Amino acid sequence: MSGPKKSEYKATEAEKIQAKVAKAEKDYFNEKYSPLLREMRDLSLKENYGGFAAGRAQADTMQTLTKPSLAATKAVDTSAELASAAGAQQIMAQGKGLAAKRQRQVGVLATARGQQADATTGLASVAKLEASDRLQSAGRKQMMREARQGAAMELGGTLFSQGMQNLEDGSGFFGGEARDKLAAANKNQGLFRGGMKRLGDRLAKKGYG
Amino acid sequence: MDLGGAASMSRYLIGNLSDVDDPQDLYAQMTRDDYDQYLKDFRPFEEQLLKARNDTSLIDQARKDVQTQSRIASEVAARNTERYGGAGLSNAQRQQQQRTLQRGTSLAAVGSINNARVMQREVNQATLADLINIGQGVNRNALSQMNTAANLQSQRYNAYKNAKAQHSSQMMGFGSQLGSALLTAFLI
Repeated sequence: MSGPKKSEYKATEAEKIQAKVAKAEKDYFNEKYSPLLREMRDLSLKENYGGFAAGRAQADTMQTLTKPSLAATKAVDTSAELASAAGAQQIMAQGKGLAAKRQRQVGVLATARGQQADATTGLASVAKLEASDRLQSAGRKQMMREARQGAAMELGGTLFSQGMQNLEDGSGFFGGEARDKLAAANKNQGLFRGGMKRLGDRLAKKGYG
Repeated sequence: MDLGGAASMSRYLIGNLSDVDDPQDLYAQMTRDDYDQYLKDFRPFEEQLLKARNDTSLIDQARKDVQTQSRIASEVAARNTERYGGAGLSNAQRQQQQRTLQRGTSLAAVGSINNARVMQREVNQATLADLINIGQGVNRNALSQMNTAANLQSQRYNAYKNAKAQHSSQMMGFGSQLGSALLTAFLI
């Protein structure tokens, strides 16, 4: 039985391409689209919509109320009416312009905040992935620690029980005297072969054979 | 319209894209960069917009506009009077026109500034409402992130505690096995 191979856990070709494409798209976005929002931000700060709208409103007012007319010239309140109407038009235009400007600025901020939210959501996903990896890694380490302890205990237990058995047989804890006797009885059999034979006998006795 | 040459497009072809060795690390880097970019590019803009809810530019502009419109109206009247050779106006009529203009200007000033205040208030309140909406999203997002972080910490804590409990239980198992072995060896 062989252990896991790292090569079996490699990303598939589809995953590699997916990552490549995602990186390329992100780079493209950063290069081409990200500056657009900054451009829009600058425009929303610089452009004077109110001034533009007020200019048009002033032109409309003057075209409507300043047509040469003897009756208008003679009337006492023509100038006052003109000043009042033009003032009202200016306020209206400036107000609409400011509202449009704010709308645009808020739109830019909302988009930027949306992107920022995407960024932090992305970080949360990364944190999740990392946490999951770390948990799995901790779990693996724990499993290995326990396996090592288990093996040590198993070996210790076997050594202890065999040692006790050897003592009972009168051949010392490590069985040196019995081994010497066996070696003397089977001179043509080496120590290693003798040991392997005993292991085979023991396994057969335990039902593994 | 230049649709871009083959040379500039070729770098985006799949075969020419660079490999991504560690997508997880790159993802973290991208999101960190995005957040830093937001701080650099939009945080000052955001601060400026937050201050704009107390803007008085319309009211300030209205004060200036009233004087300008009064001057323009007066100049228009003067040109028309000249155009019609005095238009047969007596001095008393001209004085009356001046007084009416002054009165009208004063009234227009008050009216314009009042209107400007109303309009300014509307714009500022609309901005405030939009900012509040954005802020709700910011808050929701922040809480969601914190919730995720807290959950992850909780998972880690529980996993650690579970592993510890499992380890203790295993150690007790070993202890009892060893104890049994000792008992077998010495007592039986």
